[in-house]
Amino acid sequence: MHILVFNEERFGSMDFSLLLQFFINGCMLGMMYALVAVGFTLFFGVLDVIVFSHGDSVMVGAFAGLTSYLFCMYISPGMPVWLVTFFVFLAGMAFVAGFGMLVSRFIIMPLRSAPALNTLLATMMLGTVMREAVRLFFPDGSNPKPFPRLLPDWSWKFGDVLLRFDNLALFVAGVLLIVGVAFLINHSRLGMAIRAVAQDAEAAQIMGVNFPLIVLLTFAIGSAVAAFAGLMNGLYYNEINFNLGLLLGAIGFSSAVIGGLGNIYGAILGGFVFAFLQVIGTVATPFSSAYKDVFAFGVVIVLMAIFPTGILSERQSQRV
Amino acid sequence: MLKYLSRWSGLGSALCVALAFGATPAVAKDVVKVGYIGPLTGGNSAVGLGARNSADLAVRLQNADPKSKYQYELVALDDECKANIGVQVATKMASDAKIIGAATHYCSAVALGTVDIYHRFKMPVIVWGAVEPKITYGNNYPEIFRTIGTQEYQNKVASTFMRSLGYKKFAVIHDTTDYGKAHKDFFVKFLTEQGGEVLGIFGVTSEQQDFTTELTKIKALNAEVLYFGGLTPLGVRIRSQMDKLDLKLQFEGTSGIKSDAYISGVGAKLAEGTLSFLDGAPVEKLAGGKAFTEAYAKQGYAQPAEALGIFAFASMKQIIDTIEKVGPNRKALVTALSQIKEDDTLIGKITYDEHGQNAIPLMTKYVVQDGQWTIWEDSEYASGKRSLVKVK
Amino acid sequence: MRSSKDFFCCAGLAFALFAYLALLLGAEEEWSIAAYVLLGVVVVVVLVALDVFSTIERLVQSNERTCQVLMVLGTLGIIAVFRTDHYTLFLLGTIFIYSVAVLGINVQLGYAGVINFSGASFFGIGGYTAAVFLQHTPTPPLVTLLLGGIFSAVVGSVLLFPVLRTSGHYSALVTMAFALLLKVFLEVSEWLGGPQGLALPPFKFLGINFAEDLVLFGNEYSFYVKYDLACLLLLVMTFMFVQRIERSWMGLAMDAVRIDETAAACFGISIKRWKITAFTIGNFVIGVAGALYSMMLSYINPSNFTFSDSLLFLSILLLGGIGSIWGVIAATAFMVVIPEKFQVIQEYRYLIYSAMVLAMIVFRPSGLLPRKPRTYIAGGLL
Repeated sequence: MHILVFNEERFGSMDFSLLLQFFINGCMLGMMYALVAVGFTLFFGVLDVIVFSHGDSVMVGAFAGLTSYLFCMYISPGMPVWLVTFFVFLAGMAFVAGFGMLVSRFIIMPLRSAPALNTLLATMMLGTVMREAVRLFFPDGSNPKPFPRLLPDWSWKFGDVLLRFDNLALFVAGVLLIVGVAFLINHSRLGMAIRAVAQDAEAAQIMGVNFPLIVLLTFAIGSAVAAFAGLMNGLYYNEINFNLGLLLGAIGFSSAVIGGLGNIYGAILGGFVFAFLQVIGTVATPFSSAYKDVFAFGVVIVLMAIFPTGILSERQSQRV
Repeated sequence: MLKYLSRWSGLGSALCVALAFGATPAVAKDVVKVGYIGPLTGGNSAVGLGARNSADLAVRLQNADPKSKYQYELVALDDECKANIGVQVATKMASDAKIIGAATHYCSAVALGTVDIYHRFKMPVIVWGAVEPKITYGNNYPEIFRTIGTQEYQNKVASTFMRSLGYKKFAVIHDTTDYGKAHKDFFVKFLTEQGGEVLGIFGVTSEQQDFTTELTKIKALNAEVLYFGGLTPLGVRIRSQMDKLDLKLQFEGTSGIKSDAYISGVGAKLAEGTLSFLDGAPVEKLAGGKAFTEAYAKQGYAQPAEALGIFAFASMKQIIDTIEKVGPNRKALVTALSQIKEDDTLIGKITYDEHGQNAIPLMTKYVVQDGQWTIWEDSEYASGKRSLVKVK
Repeated sequence: MRSSKDFFCCAGLAFALFAYLALLLGAEEEWSIAAYVLLGVVVVVVLVALDVFSTIERLVQSNERTCQVLMVLGTLGIIAVFRTDHYTLFLLGTIFIYSVAVLGINVQLGYAGVINFSGASFFGIGGYTAAVFLQHTPTPPLVTLLLGGIFSAVVGSVLLFPVLRTSGHYSALVTMAFALLLKVFLEVSEWLGGPQGLALPPFKFLGINFAEDLVLFGNEYSFYVKYDLACLLLLVMTFMFVQRIERSWMGLAMDAVRIDETAAACFGISIKRWKITAFTIGNFVIGVAGALYSMMLSYINPSNFTFSDSLLFLSILLLGGIGSIWGVIAATAFMVVIPEKFQVIQEYRYLIYSAMVLAMIVFRPSGLLPRKPRTYIAGGLL
């Protein structure tokens, strides 16, 4: 196998290929953050709420996918890999979408008239419940679990840069999913209803929009995207654990807010900004990368001071 | 919880029935309480639960023994690996005079904060999992004992061993908790003393999921070995992501990754050749080891014992055995424990020095071979049949 | 006091409340804890169903001072009951300190509407300040308490600019980022003890060492009695301070700023001025509490001051009822005691506890004792 050998003469080319490798890593990370941030921003759009258990939905999605994989292997070990992959994605996304609908019906909607902070804290507690439940009730759930390698492990080398097929496939799938969601929001009847509710729920209802149904569907879409992020996480790292949603939730929220809440493109931008902040933080600190989170969150604070309503701020400047 | 409750109530009712029918001489034994503290919730709970079960096993085996003078009851508390919660539960346990002794703490930061409390209340504890040297050597408290070795010794062994294999250039990743940081400090210290070279040190938080940036940087450093100071969850993530980046370095961990979860987490193929070190004699070779494994399996605990379960078991057993000898009295227990010499336990012989530290530090070197942690000396790597990543 | 009948009613209620608390705190067995928790729930549900609470409320409102004194006496009574029980006293001290800290957040969020997701960070800054000063300088502990507050307020002022410019979820993110940042910062800063943290000498005042057992008339009591008294004193002082703010023109101005910034600005109330005042006062109070807490703990490390601890503070405020001082104290007692009592269910305690809090937020969104809207009654502003 190819082992990178660097020496003084090739220092110039090493720098470039290293940069490229950092860029690829950053893109994968950014895509994952963007997918989580899209959910945050969708929920905020329709109901003006922050659903903090969203990070843990990502984790539940990954575990639901793993469970369905094990189920497939149990009923028919010889099942073709593409079919298993399809089934894993279907089951994971459907399960989390259903769960998201339940959450919106029984936790978010009843708290609509309460202060926004209630929803935030209620969903944080819900996140803890989900995390602890997976830890306790998934067999040996307190330990990390291997996630199956469902994608072919082809890879190409361009000079010193390693490009893997599974990374590329996941990235492209992520792009397609986000484009699909954006298309759905901007160019379909459902999307029109969602946008109408986001602008003015009461006026939308007067115009005949079924408000509870639209909320349910929005939660289903956002949660399914989270599940996709979880499965992507599993396929990319080949490892999942009950704690993975904790930081991912905080980062997804940060990304959505940096980009500007309620704006899908903002969420995507925010996700990539945050990912590259982390990468730069690690690369730029010369010997120890321990300060990189201090750096990333410090920049977030500065960004918020410069763009108080996010980089791509909401279209309506005043939301009441 | 139900399982737990029903087990206890089952035991209780069995006892009642036995007493009612006079099946045993109706002399109820005195109940003696012993304690266990470790993380039962949150990110470190896997090890904490395994150790809780192991301590519980020691108590149950003793209670099942008709020769036992007392009936033992385990009080297990959760410290969440947080210093303030640790102080809270340690105060609860130590101020309860009915609890005679305890096996406590996995996280060093918690143990460092609670030793003062045990000393204040004169409660003897045996630290089963926390490895920071200062827990025993930072004070002169007679109540504090420790079965597990310190990080200092572990890294001395580790660096000597790695140098003897011919490795020279190291990259280091450690988590920023007290565990990872102290491992990093000691390893770097010993390694540079022995002529090794540390090319890069990367601190990461224990919640971090993505390490590709750190690993890409390490790839450019052209090191031979990646040393990781931290626990299984992070170890699994780093080893898996090394493969994603086609990073072919010798992976060397600390006691924190010597768990079955590490191998099942990364898969047998990737885990192959990973090195780790664990205090104590190899369990597999001691007479008690097999018995422990069997007894543990028989109880049907929901979680595996993990690598440190044997330390909790040995600590708890030592507390119980000593109470059997000197009676349920804290002062007598402290004195008796401090006089222990060459006590044969599950983890090898134990002798406590004047600081209560187990002075017979044994360190076993492990390598993963065919999906199993194998003792280095017995492995095909040592015999030359297989080879680790080559020295450049 | 209106009449002696009122007085006896209040005293009876206070007695019932504290007797219940004493029983709950003393409970050790699984069944007794379950029974007491259940009893509490049933009593509250029955009282709500019979609408007795509004009567109690009126009674308490019209005998306010009496009730406050009764509460303090009752608390002293509880301390006296558990005078030798270190652990329970430690829990009580924790309740008092946490109440003080959450009252600080209450000034910020409850009055001026400045959101703070980094309460535990300021708590930690107070604690670390005290630790550093006590270790390296001969500063008297009482002064370090103040220094803890001042440092926490000063560090907080760094956040003022982004916090003032943003609103709602955006300023939530600013403080959240700060909370995550500070924990990592404490962990990687060697000079602050790194992940292992710092040890602190005990609190000393007028030559009394708070870490030595209390000896009164030849009997020995837990040293935590001293800490509890100090914490209780701090709580009473904070209570009076916060209540004075609420009932003064300052509170009125802050309320106006929170409820409608535009309208407040139209009436010439400076939004910035009141937000800055509330944020700074709040952080000062939290810092003082953090300093005293870390002395009582005698050992601090970064894992005590994480983002989830900040969330705990906010949950307490929300559960008590935002802006409600008594609510904060009641909710703190609940949130500190229940997880400890749940130790008996071991690894399941967090699951059950979070589910319980979740249920409370969903079924009682305005909190245990919601703050009343301001009303003008004869005799002045209430």
